[in-house]
Amino acid sequence: MTRISVGDASLTNILARQGADLRGQVQRASQEVATGRHSDLGAALRGDFSPLLAIDASLARLSAYKSNTAGAAFQAAAQQSAISGLSDLATGISTTLLGAKNYSTPAQIATLAADAKGRLASAIGLLNTQASGRAVFSGVATGTVPLDSVDDMLTALQTAAAGATTAGQVTAAVNGWFADPLGFGAFYQGGGPLSPVPIAAGEAADLTTTAMDPALRDTLAGFAMAALVDQGVLAGDATERGRLLQQAGQQLVSTEDARTTLAARIGTVEARIEAARTRNSAEESALGILRSEIGSVDPYEAGTRLEAIQSQLESLYLVTARVSRLNLAEYLR
Amino acid sequence: MSVTSALAGALSGLSAASRQAEILSSNVANATTPGYARRQVSLSSASLAGQGQGVQVLGITRDVDKQLLAERRLAQASDADRDVRAEFLKRLEQALGTPDSEGSLSARLAAFDQALVEAAGRPESQAGLNSIATTAKSLVDGLAAASDDIQAARATADRRIGEEVDKLNSTLARLQELNVNLRSFTGAGRDISALLDERQQLVDQISAIIPIREVPRDLNQIALFTTGGAPLLEGSAAVIGFSTTHTITAEMTQALGGLSGITINGRPYDTSGSASPILGGSLGALFALRDDLAVSAQGKLDAVARDLVERFAASGLDPSQPSGAPGLFTDAGVAFDPLNETGLASRLALNAAADPAQGGALFRLRDGLGTASEGATGDGTLLNALHAALTGVRALSSTGFAAGTRSFATLTGDILSDVSSSRLSAQSERSFASSKLTALTDLEAQNGIDTDQEMQQLLVIEKNYAANAKVIQAVADMIDTLLRLDG
Repeated sequence: MTRISVGDASLTNILARQGADLRGQVQRASQEVATGRHSDLGAALRGDFSPLLAIDASLARLSAYKSNTAGAAFQAAAQQSAISGLSDLATGISTTLLGAKNYSTPAQIATLAADAKGRLASAIGLLNTQASGRAVFSGVATGTVPLDSVDDMLTALQTAAAGATTAGQVTAAVNGWFADPLGFGAFYQGGGPLSPVPIAAGEAADLTTTAMDPALRDTLAGFAMAALVDQGVLAGDATERGRLLQQAGQQLVSTEDARTTLAARIGTVEARIEAARTRNSAEESALGILRSEIGSVDPYEAGTRLEAIQSQLESLYLVTARVSRLNLAEYLR
Repeated sequence: MSVTSALAGALSGLSAASRQAEILSSNVANATTPGYARRQVSLSSASLAGQGQGVQVLGITRDVDKQLLAERRLAQASDADRDVRAEFLKRLEQALGTPDSEGSLSARLAAFDQALVEAAGRPESQAGLNSIATTAKSLVDGLAAASDDIQAARATADRRIGEEVDKLNSTLARLQELNVNLRSFTGAGRDISALLDERQQLVDQISAIIPIREVPRDLNQIALFTTGGAPLLEGSAAVIGFSTTHTITAEMTQALGGLSGITINGRPYDTSGSASPILGGSLGALFALRDDLAVSAQGKLDAVARDLVERFAASGLDPSQPSGAPGLFTDAGVAFDPLNETGLASRLALNAAADPAQGGALFRLRDGLGTASEGATGDGTLLNALHAALTGVRALSSTGFAAGTRSFATLTGDILSDVSSSRLSAQSERSFASSKLTALTDLEAQNGIDTDQEMQQLLVIEKNYAANAKVIQAVADMIDTLLRLDG
């Protein structure tokens, strides 16, 4: 059936609906231009959020790894500097100690022994280093420093070496005490090695070095042998005292290798942490770019769309104004 | 006496023209009245004993396209139905939160994950442990908030069902009254157009609630049935029964008791499934929301909550805890019982032993929930294990998701994507239904009052009136002429 009449309401409805639709589009487009985000993210991703969520989760975790790598790197650096300080203490006295047997007068021996005791105290201080409130050689017992005072150690060693009459016997007693779980093992206040620190996805740094490490223990034993002379061990036997100092020097020289190896081992961990840090930050920026590609609006596209809808809406207003004037009653005068 | 009958014919023409003008003015006045159908004066030539006697007004006809009306009413119902569903799914998506919104479930989870990694890197840090507790609580809160939203949506749906049932009952009672009026008006031969307008509008109002079929009866009566076949108005109005429930919890369903179904004249009817006669409009959609959509959404949320609980309650994860003891997350303080999964999302709580707000201590996050005193401060073994438990893949214990193993993050992603894609398809169904309704409404509006056409008509009526008056004048002249012959 061909109609010859079209109800007034029809045109009004159509214009109102198109106006509302266009205004809605303008609102969405202007919001997208202003915020840079999709007004309906679900629709933009066709309902599949998994890639975006995976990126967000990775970004959150990367920021955790960032603080973890910083903490781990700091701890490793603190250990390194303590170990290098220990080596400096050792090399500073080992040559003199090696020559102690040949030229020593009792006064020289006493001076050398006192120096050694001072160095032992410094060595203990180095191993008690704390980095941001954490004792770095205490393993899991991060709240307590690993070693007690030098005097306590020397008292324990004197008891262990009581009755020894030769330098060899003292050396054996000292080394025995350091190897004894009830000797140095009980003197050590720290805990087991630290649990691995997560530094990147599926990767962890092992900062397992504690004051119980053989390289550190043997170095301490070297200083302790010399320091015992200061405590009056083998009193009256200048030759044996000189020999003990010499053996202490030998011990310090011979542990040099072990200390270097330990430093190298920590260095490897440091390198891994650094590599993880670089990789993480590269990953973070790559993910950031991907995130904005997936989750953000292309501002150029949104802007163009806004322009287009705007001019469309303007035309609609023009049409509405024109059409409303088209009215037979106006002309029937 | 043909001159007299010419006068009578012209007079009938005048009165017909004025009747047309009257109806036209009513049409123009109601050009924008919703539910007003255009009236037309139907005319026929009057005749007496085979002789033309001018024009007679047969009556007023309402110009209504019944077919279109019925189709538009059905479209109205299906639009209302789709609208309720799409709105719920949109609300659900917002409750879970999309990644760009603050406080979304996934953002809360990412923060918890981050806190675990950071704490494992620095187990002695009180701040690190505290942030695990805070983010874990925020995750629990997020699940509870989403679950509360779902139950609130059910309660709203229930209240709206009550409102719509009230509206149905009062409208049906009014329609019954109108039927009675129409019967007496029709019998008396009075103009019933206004009553028909009102009746059409009332039927329009309820056709969005339930899709209905209008069946005409004698003496301008109508009977109403739902398209599913339940009688709503047949002589007397049906009484629809429903009782609202004020507070709805996850455990309450229509099948298990606690929620009302629907009765028509005291007889209970199904509110879902093919046997239900009330489906297709907003009422059916609200029942579907309350009893199906929201329940399955809650089920999925509970499945997520259960997965979270079970991940951290796995035996051997925390050596300080005996097997079967509650893990980091509890079901309102006690260990989770697999038989009691419904509503878990809203009952989830952080284990009191590790929550300072509940008298616990943070160190238990690091040393184990069963430990009495603080252990080695730098031991991150348990923290690493907790993170592994959160991120590891495991098979889901609950049904409702596709089978397979997932990490917890994948699971929360899945529930969001699931809701989002059903929201999108519901919205596209809604725009389909609403564009159909728009098209039909437009067609209906085209049949409405066209003032231009009425004005044209007015010109014709004016001309007719003038012509008839001219005829009377001519007849009068003729009679005058005859009368002058005498004098």
